[in-house]
Amino acid sequence: MRSSIVFYLNGKRQEVSGDLAFLTVSDYLRYERGLTGTKVVCAEGDCGACTVLVSRMIQGRLGPYHSINSCIAYVYSLDRAHLITVEGLKKDGQLHPVQAAMVEKQGSQCGYCTPGFVCSMALLAEDALSKGFTPDEKKVRNYTTGNLCRCTGYAPILEAGVSMDLGRVTKLSELHRDEVVLSELSLVPHESIRIKGVGKEVFLPVTLSEALAERASDPAIRLSAGTTDLGVVSNKGRLQLNRVLSLQQIEELHRVERTPHFVRIGARVSLHQLERELTQEFPEFSSLLRIFASPQIKNSATLVGNLMNASPIADTIPFLRVADAVVILSSPAGERRVGVNEFILPGYKKMDLNANELVTAIELPLTSDEFKLYKASNRKDLDISAVTFAARYRLEDGVFREFSLALGGVGPSVLRFGKIEKEVIGKPLTRALFQGLSQSIRNEITPISDVRGSAEYRHRLAANLLLRFHDELSGEVSV
Amino acid sequence: MSIGTNLRHDSALTHVAGESIFIDDRPEVRGEVHVGVVGSPIARGKLKSIDAREALSHPDCLGVYTASDFHAKRWGTITHDQPFLVVDEISYMQEAVCLVACARRDSLETVKKLVRIETIETEGVFSIDEARAKGEVLYRAASPFVQGDVDAVLQAAPHRLKGVFICGGQEHFYLESQAAIAYPLENGQIEVHSSSQHPSETQRVVAEALGIPFHQVVCVVKRMGGGFGGKESQGAPIAAYAALVADRLKRPARIVLTKDQDMMITGKRHPFQNEYEVGFDPEGRLLAVKALLQSDGGAYLDLSSSILERAMFHLDGAYFLPNVRIEGVCFRTHHHPHTAFRGFGGPQGNMTIESILEDVAHFLKKDASEVRRINLYSGNNLRTPYGQVLENNLLPEIHERILESSRYRERLQEIIAFNSKRQGRVRGISLTATKFGISFTARFLNQANALVNLQLDGTLQVSTGATEMGQGVNTKIQQIVAHAFGVIPDAVRMMPTSTEKNHNTSPTAASSGSDLNGAAALLACNRIKNRLIKLAKAKFEGFVFDPTTEFDPGPDHDAAPDASFVFEDAQVRDSRSGASVPLKELIQTAYQNRIPLGSYAHYKTPGLGFDKTRVTGRAFNYFTQGMAVSEVELDEYTGEMKVRRVDILMDLGRSLNPGIDRGQTTGAFIQGMGWVSSEHLVYDKKRNLLTHSPTTYKIPNVQDTPREFHVDFIENPNNDRNVHGSKAVGEPPFLLGTSVWTAIKHALSFRADGQEIRLTSPATSEVILMELSRPKGV
Repeated sequence: MRSSIVFYLNGKRQEVSGDLAFLTVSDYLRYERGLTGTKVVCAEGDCGACTVLVSRMIQGRLGPYHSINSCIAYVYSLDRAHLITVEGLKKDGQLHPVQAAMVEKQGSQCGYCTPGFVCSMALLAEDALSKGFTPDEKKVRNYTTGNLCRCTGYAPILEAGVSMDLGRVTKLSELHRDEVVLSELSLVPHESIRIKGVGKEVFLPVTLSEALAERASDPAIRLSAGTTDLGVVSNKGRLQLNRVLSLQQIEELHRVERTPHFVRIGARVSLHQLERELTQEFPEFSSLLRIFASPQIKNSATLVGNLMNASPIADTIPFLRVADAVVILSSPAGERRVGVNEFILPGYKKMDLNANELVTAIELPLTSDEFKLYKASNRKDLDISAVTFAARYRLEDGVFREFSLALGGVGPSVLRFGKIEKEVIGKPLTRALFQGLSQSIRNEITPISDVRGSAEYRHRLAANLLLRFHDELSGEVSV
Repeated sequence: MSIGTNLRHDSALTHVAGESIFIDDRPEVRGEVHVGVVGSPIARGKLKSIDAREALSHPDCLGVYTASDFHAKRWGTITHDQPFLVVDEISYMQEAVCLVACARRDSLETVKKLVRIETIETEGVFSIDEARAKGEVLYRAASPFVQGDVDAVLQAAPHRLKGVFICGGQEHFYLESQAAIAYPLENGQIEVHSSSQHPSETQRVVAEALGIPFHQVVCVVKRMGGGFGGKESQGAPIAAYAALVADRLKRPARIVLTKDQDMMITGKRHPFQNEYEVGFDPEGRLLAVKALLQSDGGAYLDLSSSILERAMFHLDGAYFLPNVRIEGVCFRTHHHPHTAFRGFGGPQGNMTIESILEDVAHFLKKDASEVRRINLYSGNNLRTPYGQVLENNLLPEIHERILESSRYRERLQEIIAFNSKRQGRVRGISLTATKFGISFTARFLNQANALVNLQLDGTLQVSTGATEMGQGVNTKIQQIVAHAFGVIPDAVRMMPTSTEKNHNTSPTAASSGSDLNGAAALLACNRIKNRLIKLAKAKFEGFVFDPTTEFDPGPDHDAAPDASFVFEDAQVRDSRSGASVPLKELIQTAYQNRIPLGSYAHYKTPGLGFDKTRVTGRAFNYFTQGMAVSEVELDEYTGEMKVRRVDILMDLGRSLNPGIDRGQTTGAFIQGMGWVSSEHLVYDKKRNLLTHSPTTYKIPNVQDTPREFHVDFIENPNNDRNVHGSKAVGEPPFLLGTSVWTAIKHALSFRADGQEIRLTSPATSEVILMELSRPKGV
């Protein structure tokens, strides 16, 4: 058992214990290391000004670099990782080609968002190099979706992104001699870590049984995975993270496993990984994840986290409900399997979860049924939905043989609509049917008015998304 | 030649490397304290008591300060009506009540929560309608702008439309929130580093807050992480908070608002509600326009009067209004005091006429771009509602060229065809214009001073009152100075803006930063050059420099330097004789001859002076003009909007730096697009701002920008009113964001069944969906 973490920062070893381990990564960089290039604007992972690049040691090697929001990540989560900040991208006084392109194309004005954009685009350069693609405008957009700029209107940044000189890019792993970093990190034992600060404690077990024992001994302990939600509520003063159980170091939870009947997604599998993993089995869900949050968030956030947040507008829950996903719960007594539709209880954020249990995985049963998933919000990307829609269906000769429907944002939790489902099954696909449903759904839902829209708007969205579902299936409108 | 080139931003190299220093990047020095603001929990009422005992007992708390700690109780740019801290009356939610000082950054929030504030709540006024009913007028425009006989022409007009144009506010969302650090110096002096567009006002406000003479305060601004008007006036009290704590504790004091707090406390763009009546002929020609502009000023005046007036100045847009009457009134509500924001009322005025023209075209079933064309200022129709006559007007030419380059007519036909099919999507296209008046409408602000120091190695340090917020003013001045001396731009270093070098400066605002400060810098350069030219002339004529004879260039003069002496490639050459001398050598000789190598100059824009009571005189030095064509697509199921293509054509005179001007254009446009589409401020019943972070307040992100985005400039070589023939660019393109909103209106017209379209701004997905659903379902 260790009481400190070890990581590398721009090639330099850091060993952190005690209070400093509980800092957000951005505070540690800015106020402890004087690396003020990393900026904090929103402190909630929405603006990307705090973007940094991380490579983590998994199974004896340093994994590919990915971007995270350092304002909602904690230092304790960095054990055996290599962190590269904007300051670390210059090599021997020479700008990284991304930095050079941003200068050349006037991609920075006030400069406050610039380090975050530079990091996101350095990752684009890295991926372009390792996967062998040439960054076009679409790619640049996708890599910078999680970065806000208020000055440029993005046009000069897009120009910088497509014009960078890939031939001059040094791989991130070579900027600070990752082979040396790896050899030194390999000497750091992969063992559980317990760090105590003033009034704070975090436990990072390496095995599930240790995690379960800790959870059983302290039911009030906060579970953390990617901290994309916990980090926000803590930064905004709505929650004090005094005792945390982090699942970060448990390697088995990072796995996606397949059997002939299902895909099993571990609790620490990031949404970004999921987006790539599920393109074959669940292409519609994989596409939804593409417009779910930013790359930085998706690199940290998890499917289990989204489920356990249990928000009525969580983007993945409608899918999980119509997919009849199975929630795998572990406790010292063993494993319990509960269908997600039974796991989510009526009411706001209520779940069938015992105090000593952890959700260790979600299983998605393989199916030949098809899915349609929609989200409606005020901004297409990087916005929280007003209403979410998921349907699973099988049409044979124009007749519904299977139909499941779930909607989010129309009640205290994501709802399934058994009555409507029964009404549809066995009927042919007609607009009249869905016209009727779009009327009757009004009585089935109880949306509220809030910052993301009025109840009336949500009523209309629910009705219209049913019509869209029909119109797309019937080919009346193109997808 | 450095002017007219795409010289990189003078901070670009440090920006991209994360090496640029903003306020909170300054290293914490020994004894530094952190300052936090405790805000009011109610929007209107009385402050009954502040109990700080518990806060003061916290080990990290060093002090709690209230209004009684301030020497002057109130500040304000136009009138001193805003309390630094609540004295008695509470006038808006989160209004600053007291300050806490902490030894540690991370205990600030804890200590703030320990302060107990007792209040007595009374009912507030939160809308223009309520304020009007209650007669809560903050400011009424001195005189209406009147031309011709509006009422008679309206009566006789073949067609009339009446309506109300409603637009919401806008959060600046500068990425660097309000921040300042104050350092107490010896003899009671204070040095304050502020993220401010207006260091001179900050200096004065700090001095008044502390009750010390102005000369005891220096305000330094290295740069801002964005300003957009939000740091023109409202940075000053924040700096005063830091200064007060620094003065009391005799320790450096730092204040950095969180984004949430900044958004909740600070004022925004003014919401407007403009009533109008227009008369027009069957072609769509506007015959008479009557408009009453009404703004929500918030709790205190701030800059609201000037903003209201600029809205009135821009009600005409780019269009000739032969008979017109424009009135304006700003109401007091219990909102945060609304303030400057890029365009400064101009967008709210301009968008009104663009909305009207869209409605006129819809009413007459005509192409809106054609209706706009026949109304453009052109030929002899050049007189504005306030009497100024346009010069060098390129509007008709811009219109013709952008219709061509954007393939407007063909695309309009394509859109009509597209919309005739039911496919869940409907498209619209619209052209709108900007004709933005350049000058502060308060004449005294149209002045600037600059200090240029030529060093013995031929490099220069330049200080002006301009503040750098990303817009590239420093780069443009760097170019002007490098060009003047014929040196490479790297030989010119722009120094931090500081009130000890440049005094009584105007805010960097009204798009005028480069115009005014660039002109002042050029004047300073010319003074030095005139001395050097005399010296070079003497040198070429064989003057002998030795210990007994000294060359005296005589008194300075401001005439343009003798053009036959060319400063180029670090040489000074007499183009008539061909004789030349390296600049560095000439500088050395000057120094040996005790000729000053630095200069200070003052510039004031000539020919300005507008009397707003009599509505006569010249309000603006010139106008920056441009047009945009935007195409949008609406999702008929969800109301979601996508911008498919945008074309912009701007007249920026002879651009000093096309790269920077392009960035200003795209940035302003997208910001304007955000204002009219996704940026929606939502308050609860108690007037807590609910959209106080980017999770809920949606500025455009990279995916929202047009899939096709063309920006081009039309050269206007006849602009001789500004430095090197350039034109100001900061605000004018913001107004073009309107074209996205009118394009939405155009798209909606295809589903309106001939009925009128009711659209407010911002046109969020919800607003669009509700309007789509109003006449009939999808």
